[in-house]
Amino acid sequence: MSLPRQVYAELERIVGPEYISDREYILAGLRHPMPSTPVKPQSPVAVLLPATAEEIQQIVKVCNQHGLKFIATVSSLIGFAYPNAPNTVILHLKRMNRIVEINKTDRYAVIEPGVRHGQLKTELMKAGLSYPVAAVGPGGSVLVNFACSSGDNHNQHGASRTNRYILGVEWVLPTGELIRLGSLANEAGWFCADGPGPSLRGLIKGYAGPFGGFGVITRIAIGLDEWRGPAVMPTEGRSPDYKIRLPNDRHKVFIFKFPTLDQLRDAMTEIGKAEIGQAVLKYFNATAALLATQSANDFWELWESGLFQRELSMPLYVYLATNSPEEMAYEEAVLRDIVAETGGTEVDPDIRAIYENNMDFFILVGFLQRVLRLGGAWAPAKLSADSVRHMFEVGKAIPEFLNEFTAKGLILDAPENFQIISMEYGHLAHIELLFLWERNVPGWGEIPMQVMARSHETEIRHGHHATMPPRSMPLLAALGPLYSNCHIWSEKIREAFEAGR
Amino acid sequence: MLLVLPLKDFRQTMESCNHCGQCKWVLGPKMRGYDYAEICPIHQRFGFDAYSGQGLLNIAEELLDGKLEYENGLIELIYSCTTCGACDINCKSIRDMEVLETILALRARVVADGWGPMPAHQQAARSVEAHHNIYGREHERRFDWLALDIEPSTNCTVAYFTGCAAAYRYPQIAQNTTKILNAGGMEFTVLHAEEYCCGGPLWRTGQVEEARKVAEHNLAALEKQGIDTVITSCAECFGAFRDFYPRLGPVNFRVMHITEVVQQLIAQQRLKLRNQGNMKVTYHDPCLLGRLSEPYVPWNGEIKAFGRHEPPKQWRRGAQGVYDAPREVLKAIPGLEVVEMVRNEENSYCCGAGGGVAEAFPDFSQWTANERCREAESTAATAMVSCCPFCQSAFEKALGAANSGMKYFDITQLVADALG
Repeated sequence: MSLPRQVYAELERIVGPEYISDREYILAGLRHPMPSTPVKPQSPVAVLLPATAEEIQQIVKVCNQHGLKFIATVSSLIGFAYPNAPNTVILHLKRMNRIVEINKTDRYAVIEPGVRHGQLKTELMKAGLSYPVAAVGPGGSVLVNFACSSGDNHNQHGASRTNRYILGVEWVLPTGELIRLGSLANEAGWFCADGPGPSLRGLIKGYAGPFGGFGVITRIAIGLDEWRGPAVMPTEGRSPDYKIRLPNDRHKVFIFKFPTLDQLRDAMTEIGKAEIGQAVLKYFNATAALLATQSANDFWELWESGLFQRELSMPLYVYLATNSPEEMAYEEAVLRDIVAETGGTEVDPDIRAIYENNMDFFILVGFLQRVLRLGGAWAPAKLSADSVRHMFEVGKAIPEFLNEFTAKGLILDAPENFQIISMEYGHLAHIELLFLWERNVPGWGEIPMQVMARSHETEIRHGHHATMPPRSMPLLAALGPLYSNCHIWSEKIREAFEAGR
Repeated sequence: MLLVLPLKDFRQTMESCNHCGQCKWVLGPKMRGYDYAEICPIHQRFGFDAYSGQGLLNIAEELLDGKLEYENGLIELIYSCTTCGACDINCKSIRDMEVLETILALRARVVADGWGPMPAHQQAARSVEAHHNIYGREHERRFDWLALDIEPSTNCTVAYFTGCAAAYRYPQIAQNTTKILNAGGMEFTVLHAEEYCCGGPLWRTGQVEEARKVAEHNLAALEKQGIDTVITSCAECFGAFRDFYPRLGPVNFRVMHITEVVQQLIAQQRLKLRNQGNMKVTYHDPCLLGRLSEPYVPWNGEIKAFGRHEPPKQWRRGAQGVYDAPREVLKAIPGLEVVEMVRNEENSYCCGAGGGVAEAFPDFSQWTANERCREAESTAATAMVSCCPFCQSAFEKALGAANSGMKYFDITQLVADALG
């Protein structure tokens, strides 16, 4: 399917000839199947690199006029960035890459979609400011993580999920109309998401975001936190063996292990009550092994040693980041009391040293993509939030459906490869189960579907709130009753946005 | 032996790319702010994903599968890549993939299919065939640079390999190199008429058989003279000896860059360097001296379930490049203050001259050099220093076009000057 010349010419007039292409070799970079799925995306009919919200408005109107679909994307890391229908145009927002403002007084930053985590985070560090970086790697778009897709992060115990940080928003609707939300709507600046003026923050992001399904977010402001570390990342060494150590009197990492998930849960809960800690999480163990090694072979050597299964099947990672050595002494003392009372002990010191020597795990998570090193076939089966207690109940039920797959050798035998991250000092928690499978066996494409289906069945059976936000209406209808009938609301929103289209 | 593995051998790399973008960005731990965060020149300049390591993998896979047809624009895209390897090194920090090897295999495939290389690259190959150098200059004049007071040894196992660029375009690099060797009391010989182009520029443009011929000639010449150490002052030649020549078979000599030699001579107190004036300089890591200079290690194994390589593969991740020697040499020159650019060492940004880009796409080459010079100027240094004549050509053009106050020096110039 190709774009009619007249339509191409209309789009070309908007962005200029250098920033549009429908050549097959250019489109080849936008239709490669993700290694986690055998489904090949449809080829887009063109790709555009718009530079402004005004250009996007015009493009959207042309698309609507000619019956073209459009997808706005930046890094294209996830499947939603790729067309699943013919006659789709890709809007690659890389040229909209300005940090519009860093307001140190009111602690917010205004950014365009093309600004990446590695850029904003390190720029803010110079100003003593920070924000919770979602675990997508330094090349991920900040705006997308905050406004369009998930947004869980390692630091959300002392901070929160990215959806909590959204302030003013500038948004091109699917009609091409440009609207501004929050204080921005009344030309009162970017500082507030909820007025004066309409909020709609829940609509554009909600929990996980519509993944670009409701038009194009062209600028947002995000709230900022204090950064308690150095102005420049203290990196030593060379790739891939970097060391990043933060000053030990104000930054410390602890990793404890617990005999049971209940004891681990109690420790997490008590740490939240004590309101200490920047990051508190039960981390994945196979993922931790992948992050700690430099090749698939290295991973297998470590994994087959059994060390990470023994030490990290029920671990509690705690990162303390304080303003003073005295505060650190206090938090460490409280932490040790809680861990002792709940039956935790320190893990092998070699494991703790991995994180002490590379605190990037709590800054940019620059090596996150190592999880794909086993061939790239991975998926999350859980991705949700509820109370700490509820998330641990979900975790305890994982073997009910996962063991069937590990027993058959269909997925990596890592039933503890799930994380539970405390949020907002334990008022909530997030869970995520990652499973990995081998993509060079017949029928591999069915494996993730089957695992997710069994996972959903388990959730319905137990009444668990733990699923990934469903992307299909039948699945949404099946799971909606678990979430206050959200499927009914969801359908109404979809109808409102797609009315007449 | 195969100088470039067939494209199909990189199927795993092509299929397992998940579009994470690490091939386009400086590694997280090395990022220092908003600016100078991009690492891939073609992606930074042209913007489309197809212009990147990831995009070239996607293109390679579609060509391999017969889903993409050749056209001129595609060939231009493939040859606009400087093969600087930043994508490859960054990808390998997190994945078990061979991005640059795939790009080189893609170029070889394009040549084999009769669609490449670009006319300028074909001209270079014709020049090498006829005159043994990429410029088409008379072979007899390759050693015109030899100054009267430089007397190479006739009975020595250490050879200085001049390279085309130093021999014809930048003879002062060759003269300074030999002056330094003389001052350090280091005996050396040269190959005289037996020195041909190293073959690197041909190999990197997919002209594999043409590259093989000159490499085999040079190897035979070195063996005939009983050479056990080859010294280069050119990053391109250094990279060719380290990465390309071992693909022809075992290399029975040591390869050293002049900066490594100078570092040794300083450590042995065989060179006395004097202050010639105070200056703040920033050092540019040439791709082929830095991240791409790790010796090639053949691997003929199988990728088993869950990415396990059998037998285990020795990965080249760019960490073992020549990074310390030039910095140590500069610090040893009294009066010089060395300041770093953000994109340094394995995260260095290409000068724009590599992979045949300077010859085929001079405008884009200069754009890339401009971007690097902008970064150099941001350090407040008054001079840029490097040790590759191809980088020198790119930077001098860029600085000249911009009327920049920044100067460029080859490191051999600064050392030779400091000898007094």
